[in-house]
Amino acid sequence: MNAKTETAIVTIPEIAVVEEITDEIDEVKTFYFRFVDEAAGRNFRVRSGQFIMCTVFGAGEFAVSLPFSPENDRLHISVRSVGKVTCALHDLQPGDKIGIRGPFGNGFPFEEIKGKNIIYVAGGIGLIPLRSSIVHVLQHRDDFGRILLLYGARTSKDLMYTYMIDKWLKTDGFETHIAIDNPEPGWTKHVGFVNTLVERAGIPVQDTVAFVCGPPVMFNAVIRDLLKRGLKDEHIVSTLERHMKCGIGKCQHCAIGRTLVCTDGPVYTYKQIKTLGEQI
Amino acid sequence: MNILEKKKVPEFIAALAADYDLYGPIVHPDSKDVLFDRAAEPGDIALQASIPYNPAKIPFFPQCESILGYAYDRSTGDVRIAPADLVRPKALIGIRSCDLTGLLCLDRFFLGQEFVDDVFRDHRRKTFIVANTCIRPFPQCFCVCTDSGPSAREGFDINLTEAGDVYLVEAGSEKGEALVRKLGLPAADAAQAALKNKIVDGSIALFDEVSRENKAWISRATNRLTTGFIKNEVWEYIGKQCFECGACSFVCPSCSCFNIEDLNGPDGTTDRCRTWDSCSFEGYTKMAGDHNPRRPVEDRRNKRFFCKLSYSQSRKYLRPGCVGCGRCVRVCPGDIGLPTVVTAIRREITE
Repeated sequence: MNAKTETAIVTIPEIAVVEEITDEIDEVKTFYFRFVDEAAGRNFRVRSGQFIMCTVFGAGEFAVSLPFSPENDRLHISVRSVGKVTCALHDLQPGDKIGIRGPFGNGFPFEEIKGKNIIYVAGGIGLIPLRSSIVHVLQHRDDFGRILLLYGARTSKDLMYTYMIDKWLKTDGFETHIAIDNPEPGWTKHVGFVNTLVERAGIPVQDTVAFVCGPPVMFNAVIRDLLKRGLKDEHIVSTLERHMKCGIGKCQHCAIGRTLVCTDGPVYTYKQIKTLGEQI
Repeated sequence: MNILEKKKVPEFIAALAADYDLYGPIVHPDSKDVLFDRAAEPGDIALQASIPYNPAKIPFFPQCESILGYAYDRSTGDVRIAPADLVRPKALIGIRSCDLTGLLCLDRFFLGQEFVDDVFRDHRRKTFIVANTCIRPFPQCFCVCTDSGPSAREGFDINLTEAGDVYLVEAGSEKGEALVRKLGLPAADAAQAALKNKIVDGSIALFDEVSRENKAWISRATNRLTTGFIKNEVWEYIGKQCFECGACSFVCPSCSCFNIEDLNGPDGTTDRCRTWDSCSFEGYTKMAGDHNPRRPVEDRRNKRFFCKLSYSQSRKYLRPGCVGCGRCVRVCPGDIGLPTVVTAIRREITE
């Protein structure tokens, strides 16, 4: 049994209190929380790219990726109100309790990518799971080469964490390229799908790892352009999303071919994705 | 090996009833249907009945159960969470080797992977298993093709084999041996002991005649399912035949997909309910926001047979997931039980 199994809260949710709720973009809010049991909070150690199962009492449980850095960051989740449980979450007020199980999943590579250039490619709320890795990498800025964020959304109102991006830009050597799908009055940056930024940004290819997260249509286009640019399958990393019920590899809802996203993933290289035996 | 006289079977079952809830094949008094269920009385268990309609996973993986109860009072912020107490001693009496093999698959899947499923573990913690050799196959059977019958080789505390007026009794565990001693069952003589293999061979010999239509040459299908070299036309055909009813999953001894829903009671408490689910349902992979990565029915059917026979899934079960009970053959309204699918895959290769 490995370390992540021992520390995870497996079946009985640990109770947390929602401390603060902030609006991000339309239909997306961020919920800052802390564990009621301080020991549980201390033991709650995550890797970027992992996820938790979050209970909204009386509504159910949903899987959600973690946007906070494993180090020196406030515990929070950013969630779009889209299903029954996430809508119930949006009805909560500060002081309300939620349940947390996890963290689950493998997480993004960190030690393995030290010394490399890192390209983050995100579409819309796909930036949420990448935020954790970006913050963590910037916390160890000197261990990495160039760090680029290519970020696109449908409209300027759909851009997540713009206040964070402004902050990241103050870090030496962090570059960002932002695009929206259609022209808007007052928009001076690029217009086009996010994959068009791959060519535009002149991303490095040697010693480079790309992290990609976004809706499937964006994902496919970005992968195509990254490969065209010369990146290798094994240097493109993505985090996949599936309907999940248990988080511990038993309910099987998140099966893609031979893999279970909850325990084998959610982070896969494109090389792995190609061999799963099923479309993603 | 020991001997249990048939007239002493009630005494044998009663000895277990003292310590365990009893489950076994039960004949419905009116319809004469045989169901695997909890026995109200020890005498309800019918060892001679045909294979039950439903699988023996039910005591450990029921169709619907509360795995957790909680109450949240929003005004006071008080949360109380109570895990369900699922540990009850259960004796499964008279289960067939296919069902027992299915149970072993579930053990390895729920208990042997990265995480232990504590719900299943609690259910399984105190159990006594009495297996029953099939001295002749039933029409839908193909356990000889899946190496899971007609007699159990492992996983039982006691195995019974009917031999005329007596049952041959094999103990498979210390618990089983203790029961044999407690009941003072006489040892089998050499002639009786030699009967076991003869009876099993006789049963195997009957497959050709009794279950002619249910040959499943799974090794070739396993090869194809694992490598993915199966024409999409095969899946399209199977998809067209599928009614998406989920019956194959529900009667399968090794199917274990489940859904979880929180159900609110009238008194302010909530039950977290775990229910059977099936990969044949369109909503199975549907995410909030309506994105469904596995929408077409043929993709979903493909998944089920991948799960039953592919190498990667077999690694989790330490054997193929199909145990040859033939229940999917019997319940499928579209005639795509597992042997049919194996045949379709095989024909694609050979014709």
